[in-house]
Amino acid sequence: MHELALAESIIEVVEARAEECGVQRVRTVHLRVGEASGVLVEALQAAFAMLASLSPVLAEARLAIEISPHRAWCEPCASSFAVEDFIARCPACGTWSTRILSGTELQILDMEVGADTQQGGHEQAHNG
Amino acid sequence: MPRVTIARHILAANEEVAAEVRQRLAAAGVRCINLMSGPGAGKTTLLERSVARLRGRLAIGVIEGDIETSLDAERMEAAGAQVVQINTRGACHLEAQMVRDALEALDLQRLDLLFIENIGNLVCPAAWDLGEDLRVVVVCTTEGDEKPAKYPQIFAAAQVLVLNKLDLLPYVDYDPERVRAQALAVNPGLQIFALSCRSGEGLDTWCDWLLAFAGKSSGAAVSEAPHAMGGAVS
Repeated sequence: MHELALAESIIEVVEARAEECGVQRVRTVHLRVGEASGVLVEALQAAFAMLASLSPVLAEARLAIEISPHRAWCEPCASSFAVEDFIARCPACGTWSTRILSGTELQILDMEVGADTQQGGHEQAHNG
Repeated sequence: MPRVTIARHILAANEEVAAEVRQRLAAAGVRCINLMSGPGAGKTTLLERSVARLRGRLAIGVIEGDIETSLDAERMEAAGAQVVQINTRGACHLEAQMVRDALEALDLQRLDLLFIENIGNLVCPAAWDLGEDLRVVVVCTTEGDEKPAKYPQIFAAAQVLVLNKLDLLPYVDYDPERVRAQALAVNPGLQIFALSCRSGEGLDTWCDWLLAFAGKSSGAAVSEAPHAMGGAVS
């Protein structure tokens, strides 16, 4: 839909975080994107590659995108179900759900950074 | 390789500005509606009629988003609204930053209700929070009657649906019940108004609801559901 604007925003957020942590090279940026968020992953990758090439910190970075499924919670069945075409109606009992569990995220999770990173004292580094 | 947590929304910067806009409007006691539709569904005409009908009862401001021209702003000013035009020069949606800048040109103390007329587009505007209190999406009888099924995201992100150009129903193959059912399938809480800006049908119900939404109602409760198409289902 508007992947160029999304890519711009990702780069802005990641650059700010890199500066905050003294990171000089970002290798991979991990995103979680909901399948119902309207994002075209290929278009986002292309837009990111183009814009990242202009950023010293992100020039070698790639996007790793995890797609989260559109799922909702059915209260009577006490179980989750897959939402098809945005219609959050339980396929087992027909109840409408207002509790969407996942599928609309547009989240920047974390970044893998290069070996020349100077890790600050306060930020969290973790695996997985 | 070391990993550094970020844990932020992709549109974090926009969300922050939207929060600031929301706060400023709330402090000034101004309610705000983000008005969205495809091109030509009648957003501008709906605003024009609303502003004219509510003149003297509700002080309405309009931020007009268009890719080019100030034609819509001129129409809105003639109808009696405080208006600011934003031209995005090609961008397909408004962002919170544009709204924040536009607020500078409005006298918020003199407003009850602010409309942000988004770019005519049923896809992109859904993702950008502009600091509004409510989202209204407009469809019309000259579009196909499968818009909510084809563009579910924007209908899922709205609280109110306006079905416009009812006067043309005899001349088009358009089933309003089909649209209503599709829209409620993706958003069971949606409130629906059916009206015609041309004939005036349904505009009183809509304007009464606007008054109630802006807290200027003389008796009618905000929660009262619109009647024209059977109202909201929850």
